[in-house]
Amino acid sequence: MNCEEVDHLLDAYLDRELQAGQKVLLEQHLSGCPACQSLVWEFQEFRSFFKANAPVYPAPPQLRAKILTKLRRKGVKRRDTFFRQPWVYAAAMLILGMCLLTALLPDQGKALTTQAVRRYIESLSTGRLVDIASDDPQALKPWFVEKINFAPPVADLLASRYTLLGGRTDLIQNRSVAALVYRYDSRIVTLFCWPPTHEQLATGNHSIEGCNAYTWSSAECNYIVVSKLDQRELDAFVDAIRDRAEYENSGS
Amino acid sequence: MQERKLPVEELLLPHLDGAYNLARWITESDADAQIVVEEVYAQASKQEFGQEDARVRLLTIVRNRAYTWIRQHSGHSSPKDREESAGQSPPPLSGNKRTRDLHIALSKLAVELREILVLSEIEGWSYTQLASALDLPMTGVTSRLRQARLRLRQEIAEAQRKGLPE
Repeated sequence: MNCEEVDHLLDAYLDRELQAGQKVLLEQHLSGCPACQSLVWEFQEFRSFFKANAPVYPAPPQLRAKILTKLRRKGVKRRDTFFRQPWVYAAAMLILGMCLLTALLPDQGKALTTQAVRRYIESLSTGRLVDIASDDPQALKPWFVEKINFAPPVADLLASRYTLLGGRTDLIQNRSVAALVYRYDSRIVTLFCWPPTHEQLATGNHSIEGCNAYTWSSAECNYIVVSKLDQRELDAFVDAIRDRAEYENSGS
Repeated sequence: MQERKLPVEELLLPHLDGAYNLARWITESDADAQIVVEEVYAQASKQEFGQEDARVRLLTIVRNRAYTWIRQHSGHSSPKDREESAGQSPPPLSGNKRTRDLHIALSKLAVELREILVLSEIEGWSYTQLASALDLPMTGVTSRLRQARLRLRQEIAEAQRKGLPE
């Protein structure tokens, strides 16, 4: 190894990064070369001077404080989030569910109600009000079971001046529904009902195409009443049906 | 394997001085270095750090962010500003003439040379660590370090020559 090569390798040597083989060669050269020895000394001196005097800037206290606050806040937040995660998911599900109920079902309910109103108007104009003319629940129920495999709650409301004319089956958005037809004075009230397998109707009033409709649902049945009754009369009819349905349920 | 799960503040805070110092060396500005370090800590606190490599990894992020910063803000501080700040602000030992010359010389070095000096001489990084952090081959590390020391000594000699009347 000559002086030039030593000059090239001296930094790595002093950094203790020289490969073993080269280190041996370099040290062999150094032992016999005063010029290179003084170069080593010079390099070393410069390094220690540099280390002692190169500016080292400590982090300003305000920076430290700022970062500390942020890290701590983040740490707390993380732990918080960790513990709350199941609840966050539960809450998300709840909100999703509520969105479905409030946003989706009313639309669905509205569509179903609109169809029910059309069926009602159709039945008035074609005169096909009932397929089975009877006011006897014992006759109506088996008839419906046979037709659509569903027994609607049939209420005899004679006491409340509603005359049960009979029943028919109908289709509302591809659902086979039972339609019970009542007369109040000279006006027809039709109660559509079907099992709540696909949806539960929200309770509400609808005024569609000149008819008043009222929707609600129970565990056994979705109900849409369509009529030309005014709001108050319709409410009274719904109350009567509901009372009767409850009576029936508690009776059976 | 399990014991390395330290909270991020305990892992990263001990290296704040080193992080700031490196950013300060690269950006040559206190304000810029503070911004860089703050950003890096915000970013790093979302990552997983092992206890052993936290410092090297953190400083590597600081280094890269500081580079991006000076690239985005080039012209932000003129060489003259730098010279002044290098001449006036260095801490403790600024009274000594040779030390002042060192600071001036440092401020005149290219940023890559300043950076490798601080990482090697102050941080004491090995060539392997330097190669990985600076994305250089080992031979590149050797030659850049050599160049940095050479240039620094030339600049000091220059500063000494200029400053003779003092």
